Amino acid sequence: MKQVNLFLMLAVMLMASAFAGAAQDDELIVWADEAHAPVVEEIAAQFTADFDIPVVVHEIGFGDIRDQFKTAAPAGEGPDVLMGPHDWLGEMAVNGLLAEIDISDIADQFLPSAVAAFVYEGVQYGMPTSAENVGFLRNTDLVPDNPATWDDVRAISEALQASGDAQYGFIMFDNNPYHFFPLQTAFGGYVFGLTAAGYDPNDVGIDNEGSIAAAAYLEAYGADGLMPTGIDYEVLHSMFESGDAAMIITGPWAMPRILESGVNFEVASIPAGPSGAGKPFLGVWGFMISAFSENKLAAETFVLDYVGTPEGIESLYSASPRPAAMIAVREAMDDELTVGFANAGIEGLAMPAIPEMSSVWSAWGNAMELVRTGELDAETAFSNAGEQIRSLLAEQ
Amino acid sequence: MVAISTHSPLPPFFLQMHMTRQAAADNLIRRNRGGGAALRLLATYLALALVDAFALYLIYVFVADGVIQLAVAVGVVTLGVNIINLRQGLYALRWIAPALSLMTLMVVYPIIYTVYVSFTNFGDGNLLTKQQVIRILAQETYLPEGGKVYAWAIYANAAGDYALWLSDRSDGERYYFATLGSFAAVESLPPGADPPAAYQGYQLLGRREALQAARAAEDLSFGVAGRPIQIAGRREAGEFAQRLVYQPDEDAILDMQTGSLYRAVYAYGRDQTTGELHKTGQFVNDQGAALRTGFRAGIGTQNYSSFVDNDEIRGPLIRIFLWTIGFSLASVFSTFALGLFFALIMQNQRIPLRKVFRTLLIIPWAIPGLISVAVWRGMLNENLGVVSTIIRAFGLEPPPFFIDPGWAKIGILLINLWLGYPYFMLVCSGALAAIPTDMYEAAEVDGAGWWRKFRDLTLPLLLVAVGPLLIASFTFNFNNFTIIEAYDEGGPPMKEAGNLPAGHTDILISYAFRLAFGAGRGADFGLASAITIVIFAMVACVTLLQYRLTKGWEETSENV
Amino acid sequence: MSSPAHLRKRSGYTLAQNVQFALQIIILVAAVLFAVFPIIWVASAALNPAQSMVTQSIIPLLPEVRVVYANEPGTLLQVAAPDGTRVERSAELVLLVEVAGKEKELRAIKNGYVENIRFAVGDSFVAGDALYDISSSYFINFDTLLNTPRKPFLRWMVNSCVIASISALIIVLVTAFSAYSFSRFRFYGRRSLLVTILLVQVFPNLLALVAIYLMLQQIGNHIPFLGLNTAGGLMLVYIGGGMGINIWLMKGFFDSVPRDIDESALVDGASHWQVYWQLIFPLVRPVLVVVGILSFVGTYNEFVLARVMLRDKDTWTLMVGLWQYISANFAQDWGVFAAGAIIGALPSLAIYLMLQDQIVGGLTQGAVKG
Repeated sequence: MKQVNLFLMLAVMLMASAFAGAAQDDELIVWADEAHAPVVEEIAAQFTADFDIPVVVHEIGFGDIRDQFKTAAPAGEGPDVLMGPHDWLGEMAVNGLLAEIDISDIADQFLPSAVAAFVYEGVQYGMPTSAENVGFLRNTDLVPDNPATWDDVRAISEALQASGDAQYGFIMFDNNPYHFFPLQTAFGGYVFGLTAAGYDPNDVGIDNEGSIAAAAYLEAYGADGLMPTGIDYEVLHSMFESGDAAMIITGPWAMPRILESGVNFEVASIPAGPSGAGKPFLGVWGFMISAFSENKLAAETFVLDYVGTPEGIESLYSASPRPAAMIAVREAMDDELTVGFANAGIEGLAMPAIPEMSSVWSAWGNAMELVRTGELDAETAFSNAGEQIRSLLAEQ
Repeated sequence: MVAISTHSPLPPFFLQMHMTRQAAADNLIRRNRGGGAALRLLATYLALALVDAFALYLIYVFVADGVIQLAVAVGVVTLGVNIINLRQGLYALRWIAPALSLMTLMVVYPIIYTVYVSFTNFGDGNLLTKQQVIRILAQETYLPEGGKVYAWAIYANAAGDYALWLSDRSDGERYYFATLGSFAAVESLPPGADPPAAYQGYQLLGRREALQAARAAEDLSFGVAGRPIQIAGRREAGEFAQRLVYQPDEDAILDMQTGSLYRAVYAYGRDQTTGELHKTGQFVNDQGAALRTGFRAGIGTQNYSSFVDNDEIRGPLIRIFLWTIGFSLASVFSTFALGLFFALIMQNQRIPLRKVFRTLLIIPWAIPGLISVAVWRGMLNENLGVVSTIIRAFGLEPPPFFIDPGWAKIGILLINLWLGYPYFMLVCSGALAAIPTDMYEAAEVDGAGWWRKFRDLTLPLLLVAVGPLLIASFTFNFNNFTIIEAYDEGGPPMKEAGNLPAGHTDILISYAFRLAFGAGRGADFGLASAITIVIFAMVACVTLLQYRLTKGWEETSENV
Repeated sequence: MSSPAHLRKRSGYTLAQNVQFALQIIILVAAVLFAVFPIIWVASAALNPAQSMVTQSIIPLLPEVRVVYANEPGTLLQVAAPDGTRVERSAELVLLVEVAGKEKELRAIKNGYVENIRFAVGDSFVAGDALYDISSSYFINFDTLLNTPRKPFLRWMVNSCVIASISALIIVLVTAFSAYSFSRFRFYGRRSLLVTILLVQVFPNLLALVAIYLMLQQIGNHIPFLGLNTAGGLMLVYIGGGMGINIWLMKGFFDSVPRDIDESALVDGASHWQVYWQLIFPLVRPVLVVVGILSFVGTYNEFVLARVMLRDKDTWTLMVGLWQYISANFAQDWGVFAAGAIIGALPSLAIYLMLQDQIVGGLTQGAVKG
């Protein structure tokens, strides 16, 4: 009996709820990561006051936004507007998830390189807000002047180790190509050849002479005991913060923790190599509009007229201090760390946004790790990586 | 004796309990006897009718929404529930029906979905359905030759019709007023003027109303036929036209700007003449160029064959397969052995503070795995980790847990042991509690030592309850993607991996997913599904084999 | 904890027994060290004001910090620009602090650095209408965790507890029904059904996410409380996923209860329903508790599904919320996450503490009292 009653109750409950129905609101949904969501909410409040259109800001982890957008948008559950870095463009554009956005009337207020980063196959898909890149950090108590070249870096490291002032001079990740790239470019390496139309996936530079020279530099540097293996993000920063290492390459995201450690440091440009200054990857953040948005006009108004103003960009900048993409805000930046990163990124190269990138990162990182651990010499490891990447791209 | 075999006599306390329980049962039977059978039947029918009505409603709305597969799933479940409840012969299944319904929806349905996806090209570049792609592409507009672009302001009249005030800045500054059906130049205003507050019975809308109105008017064409003007953005309106128009007759998309016709491609596999792969699920024109966004389409067994035919995949496959087996076996064995061992120790009544010890031992399992692995990674780090520091304090060189393939494997097994033993400790504690203490007494009287008691009494009885969990644990670890990724993403890399990136600690599923998500254009759900099913086939074989080999459990239980 | 009398009937222990006992204690202590050692590190990370996971000492060192200068809020400050000129800047709060003897300026504009100042200063001060209390030191991570209005940790914890308890309860009830049937009835296809359940459960369902997402969305269109972004929908997924292996686990235990007990009751005219509730159910209490705890902790710590299914912050579970602290690219806040993990583990441990007697003592107690 009880069993039956339970059954009955459940059935009635289900039926009752089925006809309650859910109302579809005429609202704008924005997805942003936790660093930006509070500010986006503030900007949205003004928009709502002006237009009487509610804006719901969903805070979604940075690492989840892209995948969740791919799942939610086609199902009609996605946002109207989302915030993210430009290297998502390729993948989202080939999936047809993004709407074109016309920023021509305000484009001249932004860094041309940042605007261009949000162009994929000739279509503008986003409005930039900030451009971040790694810089060269040094402990000013141990290294008063910024080394100009990678040879200087080595000389300083050797001197520091010899004097015993620090355990290590310059150290770097075992297997993170993003942080290795500026060193690679200083020696003349590249990832994909750059043409007028953007990156060319048919021209892979992972195994060119410069890339191999950079890897060889690192190989010799490690082999001579100037840097240990087993360095990941945590170890890298812990050693810098404790003064065990004097120089690292990192980005604005690490500033809060390094500031807290109390270590005295400065952010400067990447030292130069045989091919000139090291060029870091530029990651340009910005706002994009979903192709599935039912209210694109409002979305566009929100993004361009509310976020894309000096006030909007300034408040985003203050929430998450990274060099702003808007020229006026950029020039007004007075935080020496942010200015340091901005200077380091002057010659930066936009991270390739082509969807093929996913196959590049792991082969590239593996090559680094094999060199760092002494499993393979620089030339073999990076030649293999080049071949791997070509073969993976050819599968398409 | 002491082969306290599976045919052991009933332990005394069970008999005792039996009798008291029996008395209770007799009581309740007396209370409940008589009447109610008809009522019960009626209630069952009523409940079934309600459930059926609701299910029919759901099926109806799912069909209306176009999600046939869900309608079928609901239908199957409902049909099953009806049959089970109406046929007296299926009484036993009534007890299982709730579990089966839930499993069908939440476990079996996703499996069927995975099977379906494995025969499609679902993935980056082919994420949407054809209808969705056509709808998305229809949003693209172009300005036909000679087309004009204006800045706009929106007006509305009392009847609720909209009109646009247009200013053309390309040719001096000229104004036009366009309603639905008329278009006329406004000559009376000097250049640089603001739109008037009212014009020809239309009122200029304020900023707030303008946005709402523009949204409503977005699909409208203003002006006269032949030169329709549309709102194209928050500033621009103009003689824009849809660029990519779907032609149902030809199942193709026509580019109005270039006149090029892009046909939907459904053929899959390799072209007989050129030997190249068909661009399945893309709109392709005669020159072979494809539109940017493709759609989901069936590609037969291409995902399976691309996995099987690819010679390079096989390169590191044997090593990865062996490691997968080794990893799963070692994980199951170590976690079970340690868990059982602790459970046995905790049985000793003499141990002080048993509750505290037991709780301390269970802690690893209450802490989220994410942070546990991160902490372990930190502890094992050869530069700063505490394990390395301790080893160094003894004057030894700390093992390179993330550099050396062998040590990396040991590191993973160690962490997995730490993460996994509490589960078996808990399960074994429960199972040991179910073994009546009287059995041990009997064995002790017979002079059995602890080893014989363990081997002949504890272990066989324990395996009845825990055996299937061992199989489940094996298969879980066989597919334990999370720990491999969290430890070192499969690293350290294999140097002789050929043209595909593989790591020494990669297991089948992590390697396969690296391939499915890291090659070509990005995530390939179709390929990933196919790989999943191939791996499932392997796991299923192993499971069935183990089940056959250990059929003893089942027989033991039949006879207790 | 009533230990059955027959275990104590011997007055003394033999030497061998004492050696064995000593050995057991030693092993136990070693085991507890193995179990707890990493947890100490989690605790250490939780107490560490620096956001590090590779702490080099168990007790983290706090840098000595004092505030040298804090501005009046809203004043314009003169700050040196990089080119040497001085510019004026309006800032909500600027602190000049001395860290380990060296002065440095910390800027704070709303969500800027000030909330990240995690140093012991020894007093609090008011800026604007906000009270900046930086006197707490080791517990700053706990403070952040519990007092960040944008991240309602306690609410998430309640959500998690509700979802996990209801799921666990239903899983126990439903699987116990099935296990009873599989154990007590002999019907056509019983064995194949059991094997099928096992096989279905071992399917590597990494891709099930997409299917389940779409299904919940469709269901939610017509049954709102079981849709996406609802606790109900998530529970439905958890319950559905918790069937297979627990049916097996339960069945093994049900099998170990002698059938004579219920058979004679059936002969006497009791229905299966009565036999189940009044005879079997009390006897299998240990396994019900085991399955309940396993399901509770399993669902409580699950986050892969939850973070996709739940979108509104108020519906989040504990793990989804904590995940936000470490999902940022490169800037993970492991300290707060560790603090959350420790507080978050308390319900699981409390339930285990409450129920562990049931697991171990269930059957024996039943015998004594029965």
